[in-house]
Amino acid sequence: MTGGARPSVADELRQILADVTGNPALLGISPQAALFGAGVGLDSLAGTLLLRRVRHRFGVDVAGEDLNLDSLATLGTLAAFIEERAAPQGP
Amino acid sequence: MIKCVIWDIDNTLLAGVYLESGQQPPPPDPAMLGVLRELGGRGIIHALASRNPPEAAEYVARVTGISFAAAECGWDPKSEAIGRITGQLGLAADAMAFVDDDLLERAEVSFALPEVLVLSPEDACDAAGWPEFSPAVVTAEARRRGEMYAQRRRRQEEARAFGGSRDEFLRYCGTRVVIARAAAADVPRLHELSERTHQFNSAGAGLGQDRLAGLLDSAAHQVMIVALSDRFGDDGLVGGCIIETGSAAAWSVALLMMSCRAIGRGVVDALLAWLCQAAARAGARTVQVPCLVTARNVPLRIALASAGLRADTGARAPDAAVIFARQLTAPPPLPALPDWASAPEGHE
Repeated sequence: MTGGARPSVADELRQILADVTGNPALLGISPQAALFGAGVGLDSLAGTLLLRRVRHRFGVDVAGEDLNLDSLATLGTLAAFIEERAAPQGP
Repeated sequence: MIKCVIWDIDNTLLAGVYLESGQQPPPPDPAMLGVLRELGGRGIIHALASRNPPEAAEYVARVTGISFAAAECGWDPKSEAIGRITGQLGLAADAMAFVDDDLLERAEVSFALPEVLVLSPEDACDAAGWPEFSPAVVTAEARRRGEMYAQRRRRQEEARAFGGSRDEFLRYCGTRVVIARAAAADVPRLHELSERTHQFNSAGAGLGQDRLAGLLDSAAHQVMIVALSDRFGDDGLVGGCIIETGSAAAWSVALLMMSCRAIGRGVVDALLAWLCQAAARAGARTVQVPCLVTARNVPLRIALASAGLRADTGARAPDAAVIFARQLTAPPPLPALPDWASAPEGHE
């Protein structure tokens, strides 16, 4: 998955985060960026929309599989959680 | 319980067809106007889904005097319009009713969205007497619900154009959150919230007015309310919590609830921040929130995680709720109460 035409999971998550928060600055966040609190400022509304988009896009039910939602710690932890579970795609 | 009725316009709300009426569009159907007003008075909100240009929705709002919470005008299937309205309002499909005079439209919606209650205009006249349309208590907040959804639509339009962070947007809106001890006059609204809230409800069961009144007098409990307003309007009492403060070591939240209308406006985060701070001031070492985990209360779990609460998977409350808890004396740092929120300072 390096350098190919397909965007990485982290890049797709950046786009989804920018969409659900309406804040284009999130397109440039690092994998270590905390999703809660200052910075990304993910709240219940944006978080719910994010998880819904993740389920549609990657087929991963984060809320169903991660009771504590620790996967939402950073952009990198969420991307890793999805990569471990998402079905392989494409030809 | 039905929370929103989505109406067709032509030959349903209007006594005729909007686009076929030349200079003067048709007047509202008097029977449907009666149903609109009756249900609105019970706190049920109204929306429009119509195969018409947007001017038709403006015309209907003007001649009926009703604040429609959402309006979808276009030529795609009604089930898609209803899906968009459901999403915009943050409601579940089984809280929606749809009224249309056209049998084919009703069939399409019934097939695509089986949870939606689909009615003919004749059914709608009777439906006012059905239990699904008859909430047990109707509060001042409930009667203003349609108007508040209209304010929300204006707020969302500005939010889309805003582009900054969520906190900046809440400040730009002049958001005010007030956390306070509940008074006897708040009991009907707290009861209503306990029955109507799902996305932000830790207990999953309603609380009767007698029980709530008893808790207000209990020395071992604190019943708190949360009120919300901003420059778009006053949402009134949107949430609350019941805290068992009997044990000095731990504060346990028997019920945490918030109206889904307040989602995305910093309310639940402010309440959880206050809870952690107040418990720490009172000398408690932990705060815990037993939470019945459901498919619908994911938004509440996100707020709990954001405030640093984690599930103690070994501990289950008697009703099988998972206990989310956090230490107050160890990292992560306690969430801060935003400066646009006010709350009691001392501990009692």
